[in-house]
Amino acid sequence: MPQLPLEIFLRGSSTPEPFAVEERHCVFVCDRKASARGVRAGMAVAAALALAPRLRVALRDPATETEALLGVAGWAAQFTPGVALEFPDGVLLEVSGSLKLFGGLESLLERLRQGLAEMGWSSVLAGAPTPRAAFWFALVGKQKFIGESAELEPVLAALPLEVLRCNDETLAAFEAIGVRTLGELRALPREGVARRFGQGPLAELDRALGQLPDPRNFFVPPARFGAAIELPAEVTRAEALLFAARRLIVQLAGFLAARSGGVQRFVLSLGHRDKAPTEIAIGLVAPSRDAEHFTLLVRERFASLELAGPVRELALKADDVVPLPDRNLGLVLEQGKPPGQWEPLVERLRARLGSEAVCGIASRAEHRPERAGVIADAGQKRLQLDFGERPFWLLEFPRPLAEIGAVPSLEGPLELLVGPERIESGWWDGDDVARDYFVARMQNEALVWIYRERRGEGGWYLHGVFA
Amino acid sequence: MVSARRFRLKSVYSPLPAYAELHCLSNFTFLRGASHPEELVKRAAGLGYSALAVTDECSLAGAVRAHVAAKDVGLPLIIGSEIRLQDGPRLVLLATDREGYGNLSELITRGRRRAKKGGYSLCRGDLDGGLPGCLVLLVPHGKHDAEHARCVAERFADRAWIAAELLQGPDDRAQLAALRELGKTYGLPLVASGDVHMHLRSRRPLQDTLTAIRLRKTVRASGHALFPNAERHLRLRMRLAQIYPAELLTETARIAGRCRFSLEELRYEYPEELVPEGETPTSWLRKLAEEGLQRRFPAGASQKIHDLMERELSLIAELRYEPFFLTVHDIVRYARSQRILCQGRGSAANSAVCYALGITEVNPAKQELLFERFISKERNEPPDIDVDFEHQRREEVIQYVYDKYGRERAALAATLITYQPKSALRDVGKALGLDALQVDRIAKSIAWWDDRRELATRLRDAGFDPESPVMLRLVGLASALLGFPRHLSQHVGGFVISRGALARLVPIENAAMPERSVIQWDKDDLENLGLLKVDVLALGMLSAIRRALDFVNELHGSAITMDSLLREEDPAVYEMMQHADTIGVFQIESRAQMSMLPRLKPKHFYDLVIEIAIVRPGPIQGDMVHPYLRRRAGTDPIDYPNEAVRKVLERTCGVPIFQEQVMQLAVVAAGFTPGEADQLRRAMAAWRRKGGLEPFHKKLMDGMRKNGISAEFAERIYRQILGFGEYGFPESHSVSFALLAYVSAWLKRHEPAAFLAALLNSQPMGFYTPSQLVQDARRHGVEVRPVDALASEWDCTLETGADARIAVRLGFLLVQGLSREGAERVVGARRDRLFDSVEDLARRAELNRHDLKCLAATGAFEPLSGHRRHAFWQVAGIETGAHILRDAPVAETPAVFSPPTEGENLVADYASTGLTLGRHPLALLRAHLSRMRFATADELKLLPGGTRARAAGIVTGRQRPSTASGTVFVTLEDETGYVNVIVWPHLIERQRRELLGARLMGVEGVLEREGEVMHLVARRLTDHSALLGELVTLSRDFH
Repeated sequence: MPQLPLEIFLRGSSTPEPFAVEERHCVFVCDRKASARGVRAGMAVAAALALAPRLRVALRDPATETEALLGVAGWAAQFTPGVALEFPDGVLLEVSGSLKLFGGLESLLERLRQGLAEMGWSSVLAGAPTPRAAFWFALVGKQKFIGESAELEPVLAALPLEVLRCNDETLAAFEAIGVRTLGELRALPREGVARRFGQGPLAELDRALGQLPDPRNFFVPPARFGAAIELPAEVTRAEALLFAARRLIVQLAGFLAARSGGVQRFVLSLGHRDKAPTEIAIGLVAPSRDAEHFTLLVRERFASLELAGPVRELALKADDVVPLPDRNLGLVLEQGKPPGQWEPLVERLRARLGSEAVCGIASRAEHRPERAGVIADAGQKRLQLDFGERPFWLLEFPRPLAEIGAVPSLEGPLELLVGPERIESGWWDGDDVARDYFVARMQNEALVWIYRERRGEGGWYLHGVFA
Repeated sequence: MVSARRFRLKSVYSPLPAYAELHCLSNFTFLRGASHPEELVKRAAGLGYSALAVTDECSLAGAVRAHVAAKDVGLPLIIGSEIRLQDGPRLVLLATDREGYGNLSELITRGRRRAKKGGYSLCRGDLDGGLPGCLVLLVPHGKHDAEHARCVAERFADRAWIAAELLQGPDDRAQLAALRELGKTYGLPLVASGDVHMHLRSRRPLQDTLTAIRLRKTVRASGHALFPNAERHLRLRMRLAQIYPAELLTETARIAGRCRFSLEELRYEYPEELVPEGETPTSWLRKLAEEGLQRRFPAGASQKIHDLMERELSLIAELRYEPFFLTVHDIVRYARSQRILCQGRGSAANSAVCYALGITEVNPAKQELLFERFISKERNEPPDIDVDFEHQRREEVIQYVYDKYGRERAALAATLITYQPKSALRDVGKALGLDALQVDRIAKSIAWWDDRRELATRLRDAGFDPESPVMLRLVGLASALLGFPRHLSQHVGGFVISRGALARLVPIENAAMPERSVIQWDKDDLENLGLLKVDVLALGMLSAIRRALDFVNELHGSAITMDSLLREEDPAVYEMMQHADTIGVFQIESRAQMSMLPRLKPKHFYDLVIEIAIVRPGPIQGDMVHPYLRRRAGTDPIDYPNEAVRKVLERTCGVPIFQEQVMQLAVVAAGFTPGEADQLRRAMAAWRRKGGLEPFHKKLMDGMRKNGISAEFAERIYRQILGFGEYGFPESHSVSFALLAYVSAWLKRHEPAAFLAALLNSQPMGFYTPSQLVQDARRHGVEVRPVDALASEWDCTLETGADARIAVRLGFLLVQGLSREGAERVVGARRDRLFDSVEDLARRAELNRHDLKCLAATGAFEPLSGHRRHAFWQVAGIETGAHILRDAPVAETPAVFSPPTEGENLVADYASTGLTLGRHPLALLRAHLSRMRFATADELKLLPGGTRARAAGIVTGRQRPSTASGTVFVTLEDETGYVNVIVWPHLIERQRRELLGARLMGVEGVLEREGEVMHLVARRLTDHSALLGELVTLSRDFH
């Protein structure tokens, strides 16, 4: 899978901008739009940006690559039980036993090619009597299929040394002595090569030729299905998500086929930037593994879906877990629990009212009073901060006060006790304030927190009440 | 509003109170202060403050700037510093006199030297001496105030106060009451102060941003680390009157009255030891100058020169500048004694005394000198004597200065590192929470040739909306941050030398490098205070000339010196210059100089002086080049309005080319005094940034009219003065450079092998890479031999060639990555016995594998091993390190490798030494390029102007001179020479990618020629870099 590091970012939808993946400040791989502007693998990101100022650059993400590779392996298991992984970007299939079942090599290859394309992966398919040789052909982009071991040697001899994937230093050393192909390597005195470069390269070559055994551990597919696609740009229309969902559905169908099973329910989860993901459960009347059927159902759901916000990630889960039926829980604590434990209460309130309905409050370091309080998870530790005298109750919106004879008035003239405390802050988010705060006493002895606006029209405002 | 009216009434009826701000940080308290010292001073003066104390945190770095600004506006300035003790209070210390200043400076030094760069560490124990001569303000904190007050009261009886900083906090009234109580308890009076961080309240966003940058957080996340309001600015006295009780304000003025120290007092603290007993500085300088004159003119100097020197000596004596001359003379004398080549540059070359002392080389007998350009009474500014030394031996001179005066009296000046567009955008961007890559992209989209006015366009190109609030904030704050100091670094060669302990003159702090320290003032600060400062600069060409002369003298057993070469002029040298054959020659090797040489056709030394000065932005923008060339060629008439003007301008055909001429013109034609003329020069240098030339305009016009000079002539002169701007070149400087240019040209013409070897050994320097220098020398018939393990030394050397001609043997220094120690061991081991194999060499020279590989890569093992591939195979097979089997011979089947191709060798040559002695890469590609109808540089020379032509070559330079209004000059190199390409702005926009990206560029265009000068004006650029395969070529971008 030559484009794996790039396609994990791009298979969900396309972007109008050129795109590149960076590793250690260099371009690791880039898309066609980027290469059309002169961006090349190995180039410094800075240089690439100079060529393509709108280039989007993502950090290489090996964890997601591995996950994707496992997903492909799970899907491929429908063709043979002998699936092995060749990290970081290859999957090996032992197909000699499957050829008949799938109508011969050509037909099998066609199914592989098409399925991978539907999931959004570019691929190079190659075959050989040894796994090493087959993988090397694929690595150099040769769609080559060799059935007989005897034919292997001349073809391998022409392969470049890079297929050995040895470190840069060793590669440079081979380059320096003018050895570029496996054939040239084999032509050197064996003991001389081993003394200089170790046994590794020669042993690899022997494995490829079938002269050394090359046992593999076969991949065991997991019990549950889960896969995700990160979208390169936020998607705001539900229909646009179908493209990405389809890729996951194809993978699910393959996974199910490999296990000879089906599902009656799967969950699509739409990830947002700031909000909790939107979960869409799709239920079927009877278990199925028909990708087209799944697609149809998802399309219908998307057609009527009002997105809660732009979508950044799409995930598909199919568990064997059967949902529990709703039960009514009492809000009253059970007997025997020590008092003061609020966690069970919170849990039950949440189960009853929904998890968003229950929250705690905390203060944060911020000069603007209306932003110094934040909604936090219930039970999160509160910040202790150095404030001046601040009221516990703050009005959601400051209320204008009448001014009678230069004195602010709230049910009668207010007496200014403490102040002014000047607060000027917040220019960075476009909500700059400039106010002089006072603690004031009402006629009825109640203490309030008021301010005089220092901008524009000025005027007095009530902002809080001391409890 | 009613309340506002009430304020106004009050201000009418009660006079504003006197106020001196005693606690004020400038932006020299890095990332806290949000205003320049100058801004603070100006504002304080504007507000009618009776004084301002600039009290940067443990620093006096901004003091001189504040001092200069305060002198300008007539505001009393107090020197002080804010100190946070590790174990106690925050204090503001104010110097009352020289003694107090010295103590403060020493205290700061102590604190700074204890911490790593940028930090400081002081505790109560450091104040046990009581800091005589300083006043102390305790800045209360709210916690431990009582204990802090006791600590201050114990140490500083009668000169300590509590700073009452009422900044509209939650309850100022309660705070003031608490402070009064505290003061009463410990007997400390209260004084008002403002904890000022900015000159105007509108700097609040910038101040918040600085806080965020300091904390490495975003502004949003900085929370309570930000100040709650903008009160920490220089407040109106009317406001202060409302906030503070009157006696607290009066107290500020009382304290200010006690601080009588001024930085002016530091002047004349010059070292004394250079004057022997029984002599005064004046008599001793006279003696040395007269001796020197005798040496310069063994047959006796003319009366004119004696008069000149007499005038200089008396002015020097009057201004008490002798120590400057004596100090520089001493350093130059030392360098000469060590055979280190050196030469003074700049305006000092206008001095007959400097010539006599051997500091400069410009002979007053041959050259008009304008002493006022160097020292003027009106300017009352100490002389600036810059001396260049061989760059690779300058360190010896620096060590001499340290040894002579001691580390406690001599130190290098600081260089102030300030925010540049990119760093400002990056830091502000981060503080605003833009993601790092975005910010980088913005910063980078401002490519080096982009005008800052194009910022909006560039932002849009990079995919940002320049009108969005975030972008407006980013750009606004970044422009405000521009020019803010970031940190102090060490100046390359500007020394300050003091009479007493330096730390009592200026604080010293640690530099980034261990064992290095730096003073808190930069060169401008030292100059502004008139302190003794000496510039020990490095010049690569001096190293190259000394080396070349050594080669030549050793070769021929001769005794050629710079002096002897300059005694007579050699037509062959000028002949070479006229053909622009000047690669490697000092100053006249740039592309611009090379295209001027065939037009100006220098025939004599003075032509060279003009050549060097005329290819500058000043003369080009002042439109002096073409009038000069036309008059010189006789196509334009030369006219002078009167005899006096003729005398000034005759040597440059009536066109002013040098700064000195403008000054003299002002004197003889417009009646300026020499001092006024010097002021004119300084205004010329600054008008583009600051304006301020108008008064001179009027004075010039009036003066010239009075002398009967036509308005038309006067206007022309004025326009040329404007054009000069900051780029005007002093004649004295040009003469000094011309001396080096002539000597290097002589060496290139007559001793090309020695010149090449000397240049290669003095790299990096100049415009050209070793590869270009080698190609040029070979085109001139010099044989160059490859790096060879059996023949090379570290440096390049000269060998006798087959037909007794001199060949250059490349040295190990060209081998990339090779350690010098390794190379020296090879040379050492070879002395006993030549090596018989690579293994023998590796063993006897004890080379590690890395060094072995580097040598194998250059082909240096070829005589031992055969071609590179065999060398690498053998090197890979060698056991290095302390291995028990290391010396045991290994018997193995020999491997056979086919020899590398010419192309492979070429790539390996470039990769290992940056040059090849084989064919030029384009020679290898020529068949291919010919098919694409690209001509060679040689072929282009035969074509007439106006022809359409195609050329291709390796891009060796891209330049965008500021004088060329957006045009980019590209230099292409092929196997026959260079092609100069002009790319107009409209093409740049369309072909940015080819222009920036191509290493092998094809150009389709039209030839433009004027005599020997030829350019290819590009119509289309193509990128053929792919042809080069892996060939690495270095392109140099000049910013």
